Amino acid sequence: MSSVMKIENLQAKIGDKQILKGLNLELEAGKVHAIMGPNGAGKSTLSKALVGHYDIEVLDGDITYKGKSIVEMEAEERALEGIFLSFQHPVEIPGVNNAYFLRTALNAKRKHEGKEELNAAEFLRLMKSHLEMLGMKSDMISRSLNEGFSGGEKKRNEILQMLILEPEVIILDEIDSGLDIDALRAVSEGINKMKDGKRTFLVITHYSRILDYIEPDYIHVLKDGKVIKTAGPELVPYLEEHGYDGIEEE
Amino acid sequence: MNLTDLKNKTPQEITDLLGAKDREMLVERFVSLGLPNKKSEAYRYFDVEKVLDKRYNALTYVPKTLKVSDKIEIVDGIVVAGPQGMRIYNEACQEIDMDHFDPMYYLGHLLCPQTIKIELDGDTEVEIEHRYTQSDVLINYRIVLYNQANRHATVYENFICEDISNTLVLYGYDMHLAQDSTLRVVKMQHMQHNHYTMIASHKVNVAKNAHAMLKSFDFGADKALQLLKVELDEYAHVDAGHLLYLNDDAKRGTVSQIVHVGEHSTSKQEAKNILDGEGTRGIFDALIRVEHSAKYTKAEQNSKAILLHDKAYMAAKPQLEIYIDELEASHGATTGQLDPKQLFYLQSRGISHVEARKMLVIAFANTLIEEVKDTRHQERIKTAFESVFYKAHQ
Repeated sequence: MSSVMKIENLQAKIGDKQILKGLNLELEAGKVHAIMGPNGAGKSTLSKALVGHYDIEVLDGDITYKGKSIVEMEAEERALEGIFLSFQHPVEIPGVNNAYFLRTALNAKRKHEGKEELNAAEFLRLMKSHLEMLGMKSDMISRSLNEGFSGGEKKRNEILQMLILEPEVIILDEIDSGLDIDALRAVSEGINKMKDGKRTFLVITHYSRILDYIEPDYIHVLKDGKVIKTAGPELVPYLEEHGYDGIEEE
Repeated sequence: MNLTDLKNKTPQEITDLLGAKDREMLVERFVSLGLPNKKSEAYRYFDVEKVLDKRYNALTYVPKTLKVSDKIEIVDGIVVAGPQGMRIYNEACQEIDMDHFDPMYYLGHLLCPQTIKIELDGDTEVEIEHRYTQSDVLINYRIVLYNQANRHATVYENFICEDISNTLVLYGYDMHLAQDSTLRVVKMQHMQHNHYTMIASHKVNVAKNAHAMLKSFDFGADKALQLLKVELDEYAHVDAGHLLYLNDDAKRGTVSQIVHVGEHSTSKQEAKNILDGEGTRGIFDALIRVEHSAKYTKAEQNSKAILLHDKAYMAAKPQLEIYIDELEASHGATTGQLDPKQLFYLQSRGISHVEARKMLVIAFANTLIEEVKDTRHQERIKTAFESVFYKAHQ
């Protein structure tokens, strides 16, 4: 297996509470990994730990990305290296223009990769092509970042960012929460467009609904801060029927 | 001239010192309020005694024949140019508020018996440029601005100073918005360290069904205080916004009273303050008073401050003084750092910490700047703000 990211014995806390308690997980490059688990299992904490969120204190263990430890890396460095988190609750930033923000982010990445920056016109063309595909209105260009967006618009905007920034490891934290069927389809379409056998997905979800649209290669069950089982997609119907209580640590 | 000579004097002594015969009522008001000191409520965060203790040379005011210009130009307190056809002249002020809270309002009037009168008669847009050219002087002038009934005018105020130091500017408006008129005043002032200090004391009368929009954008260093009293008649409205960006050891801000006198009058006041220097002090001391006569008032007041330096200090004091039950009113103030969630969101997309901070600061300011609907002026203010902010962060 060609691994793009390896998490070994990860122990992490938020405030005084230890959430991750020796988590091990290996992400195979180009595959879709789904993380499922009950409330409080540590799913969102894992996603935050992977992108270097300030809330998280890593107590022990390591996260390696393309063979390099990223635990000490700042959030922006991880992003520039190709790690992307689609937030469960994207924050609103009044006054920051959506297009300006995205162009700044894209150009920071292009600069990091030694590529030429895109000018405003070039970027606008790129943005518009993705907006249409996601069923987003063109006023998304001029609106402030996530300000006054509906739940569905915020999630689509996350996917828009993903499409434009073209990351290599994509973490989708509860991407399906708050979405109606149409929005779920549009978001899934955007995600599937990025599935090219090279990019790796980590889909964090409570429910199997999103997995009807984004077919996973692996299911990892997270419970009490550890991955207790890894299996193929055949585990999904079992979990639907029996819940997480019936799963024993391997 | 030493303004502290006016401290603790009797009305007769003040009259003699200022040569203010026939202006007894103004002298009485000034004496009853007293020369501001560090205990004066409106000036307590401003180090006013240091400002008033200095000795300034007095200027002689000789009215000039106006040149034709596309803007009104006032140099060291004397109006020298204005647009063709606009009524601009020097005359004694006829309508002085005898219940203003600020002693410097009265001192300003006492020191300049002739005010600059500007009559805005027509739907017009005009720029007023204030230029200061002399060091070590007291520049004192007042402007009376009349906006006629049913007229809709916009005034853009700019301040330019040459390479001067140790000058004190006392100026202010008496604005009169006649019934059903609209007046927008957009002030932008970028001050640099140790050029001049400003105390600007204004009075704005908003008549029935008239609308005033007063937006001030104050950037940079040094000391400046604007003291503003607004009176609202029935169905009158004021929308006041103040953006402060302070660096070095600037001490600047707004002290205001918005008084609802008429029924159904409405007010909105918003202050945004960015303090970006160790010695910076921001001031927002704002009172909304709703009189017995002002039933069905709607009043909203808010101050937000971002401290970019540990030792910066924001004195935010929003206040409501209400004498009736039939109204809607709210006020609040927050002071803090940049939102870590917003910072992280930007960084998680590969934007550096430094760049993310800049984006958030500019965004915070932009929400107020974008209330200036004229895109040319909006861009001008944005550019001025970004220029002073980026310069401070080079």
